[in-house]
Amino acid sequence: MTAAATLGWDELRALFLHFLSLSVFATGGALGLASDMHRYVVDQHGLLTHAQFVNSIALAQAAPGPNLLFVTVMGWQIAGLKGALATTLGLAAPALVFPFAVSRLGRLRQFKRLLAALQRGLGPVAIGLMAATCWLLVGNAPGAWLGAAMIATAVLLLATTRVPPVAVILGAGALGALLPW
Amino acid sequence: MPQEAAEVTAPSGATVAPASATELFIAFTGLALQSFGGALAFIERMVVQKKRWLSRSEFLGLFAIGQVLPGPSGIAFCVLLGDRYFGLRGAAAALAGFTLVPAVVVISIASLFLHYQHLPQVQGALNGMGAASAGLVIMTAARMAAGLRGERVAIAVAGLSFAAVALAHVPVSAVVLGLGVASVAWAWRQVGAA
Repeated sequence: MTAAATLGWDELRALFLHFLSLSVFATGGALGLASDMHRYVVDQHGLLTHAQFVNSIALAQAAPGPNLLFVTVMGWQIAGLKGALATTLGLAAPALVFPFAVSRLGRLRQFKRLLAALQRGLGPVAIGLMAATCWLLVGNAPGAWLGAAMIATAVLLLATTRVPPVAVILGAGALGALLPW
Repeated sequence: MPQEAAEVTAPSGATVAPASATELFIAFTGLALQSFGGALAFIERMVVQKKRWLSRSEFLGLFAIGQVLPGPSGIAFCVLLGDRYFGLRGAAAALAGFTLVPAVVVISIASLFLHYQHLPQVQGALNGMGAASAGLVIMTAARMAAGLRGERVAIAVAGLSFAAVALAHVPVSAVVLGLGVASVAWAWRQVGAA
């Protein structure tokens, strides 16, 4: 929260609308949208640095609560409470119209087939989006090789042991505090 | 022991409705505060096993709808479940429970870190946590991708989606409207033929 804390209403509205429009196209989790968010927030508008962007994801995963709250931390870093509300409400608002849509869709004769087709058709897209988020996070890892090495270690630990994810994150935090970056 | 009696008389898989929107709010708040690194497993445990609001197959069905509808799946699921019992009021209660208190918690933790981020140790800790959380995202993606084995068309769609967003910087909206719609159309025929 530096110069960006003085974000005007127009910019806040634009931020809200951008997250709203992204949410409409979300298939799967919110993390799949990270590439688009990054382009808007970091590349185009310079509201956050890449490091601040990644911090939002890391802090949301380390804290209790759903991962999608990384958008809340992002908004908070951009413009305090107003920013947090803009990003979070933008992401959540489209969902509030579903109940009406679903009760109508449910009456369709081929609803089951439609649901199965949507699941099967959109599933691979969601996987591609998550892979793009991985690409974004790995490609800009901090430190010359330290970040990449820690990512690899984390993957190894998570894949081969039963260490809880939050322990891996907190352990990496403790280790990171001691390492020369 | 009324609880035991209920368990004896109720057939396994019998479900009960939540008593009120307040119960939804409190349950989802508790659930969100217990869930570290992704809430799905925690949602299922509470909704299906603990509260018995839904049977397992009902849960999977509702979650599938939440996944394909616009919006992040976790949010969509809260809204669908809340709406099922108390309409829009229930939807708002579940969604608020899932996000409100956890948002305050995560912002408090974040502010603390960000307040001291000028210290090299705190910056280092954030770097380390960022690296580990990237590892977590990779594992999630890998687990999702494991389901693609042998599905050639789905692998192609996933690969193209990745390339479009990560390498060509195509907006997600265009990918979903283009590739997504084509992929759903293909799946529609496959499902019909099956």
